[in-house]
Amino acid sequence: MELNNSKIKIQAKNLNVYYGKKQALFNINLDINQKEVTALIGPSGCGKSTFIRCINRMNDVIDICKVEGSVEIDGAEINEKNVDVVTLREKVGMVFQKPNPFPKSIYDNIAYGPIIHGAAENKDQMDNIVETSLKKAALWDEVKDRLNEPGTSLSGGQQQRLCIARALSVNPEVILMDEPCSALDPIATAKIEELIDDLKKSYTIVIVTHSMAQAVRVSQKTGFFHLGKIIEVDSTDKIFKNPANKMTQDYITGRFG
Amino acid sequence: MSGTGHTVKSYEEEMQSLNDNLVMMGSLTENQMADAMAAVIKVDKESVDKIVKNDGKINELRSTIDNQITTVLVKRAPMAVDLRITISTMKISHDLERIGDLAKSVAKKVKPLPVDLPDELIGSLRRLGDLVQKQLKDALDAYLNRSKDKAIEIWKKDEQVDDLTNLAMNEVATYLQKDKKNLEMATHLLFVTKNIERAGDHITNIAESLYYLIEGEYLEGARPKGKPIES
Repeated sequence: MELNNSKIKIQAKNLNVYYGKKQALFNINLDINQKEVTALIGPSGCGKSTFIRCINRMNDVIDICKVEGSVEIDGAEINEKNVDVVTLREKVGMVFQKPNPFPKSIYDNIAYGPIIHGAAENKDQMDNIVETSLKKAALWDEVKDRLNEPGTSLSGGQQQRLCIARALSVNPEVILMDEPCSALDPIATAKIEELIDDLKKSYTIVIVTHSMAQAVRVSQKTGFFHLGKIIEVDSTDKIFKNPANKMTQDYITGRFG
Repeated sequence: MSGTGHTVKSYEEEMQSLNDNLVMMGSLTENQMADAMAAVIKVDKESVDKIVKNDGKINELRSTIDNQITTVLVKRAPMAVDLRITISTMKISHDLERIGDLAKSVAKKVKPLPVDLPDELIGSLRRLGDLVQKQLKDALDAYLNRSKDKAIEIWKKDEQVDDLTNLAMNEVATYLQKDKKNLEMATHLLFVTKNIERAGDHITNIAESLYYLIEGEYLEGARPKGKPIES
């Protein structure tokens, strides 16, 4: 597990997040390496999802949510007032727990983002973006003859890959995945994991997962969260074979609570 | 086991049972080694069949442990310390089984030996046997107490096993030189000596597995080696 010589893509520094009076994240410091998969694990409610939502400012849409501290992408602070969140979310795509295709055709699901961002000048260019995105998400062969059918007509696993293709269509640099396989069967899960392996060559990926085995399979670095704090961050190999912290060990071996 | 138990009780029970079986296997192997050595020193031909038969129990336990480990791997996908316990238990059980085989081989060599073995022949062999038995006992105690320091100590002490092996072999060789008629007996004793030395190597393996179990890292460096036989 090579951690050396990796360039830091995302850096969270002294990050604190509050939902009203309740503090959800406590002084998080975490470096996420470029073109690697970083897995975040921890019990439900430990702050993993809250943390990744800080990376594309998804917490902005929650009125009572207050974010303090710093998140830098390529050294630039994303919480500055002048940062355009639409541009930020173009750079930092997100895939959620349950596949959530738009109630539109497969084609339009992919074209939606590029249209908003004005990425295509004509139909040919858009066709090209749709095809490339679906290919990158390993879905093209399965849907190329039915692009006008609704996205919701696809199976769960296909819908999730559609959502990944949708995220890829605007050329992001970072992809955030919040339990992307928790609603999928093992075969669909394997396809997504294979895809993650492939995508990490071009993208920085942060994945929240409740499956320890999945974290081991897909990630190079793992962070363990508990009660809003980062307990341990290390190479995935180290975390799952010989973690330094007893709490980490108790969690991953099923000795918690 | 770690301080806190698994949330799933049956997982905890499975790991406990694995531990109990390994301890049982260790204790049987210890007895076999002691019985085999006593049989050689006393040239007690009566005890040989019993020792050979008892080896079957050790082999059975090894199979049981193998099956238990396969089940734990497939059911629990053990992580961290559980993973290390599972892997180390598998390796240690295989080493114990081999030590059992070697004890059996040692015992089998007793039958063709003359009842009046000269003392000068078995002085170093006796000491070698005592040392290897002590090493085995220490290894099993270290496993029970999860003692990293003891594991290192055992690992280093294999050098003494090698030295005593060389001494014992030299003694037999000297005896053989006195009278070529001693060839058959000497050959048997050389095999006995070599088998005990190999049991010592398996004990060193156990110390290494134990160190990995405790530390999550491999014992670094080359194994200590005894002085080569001087011609």
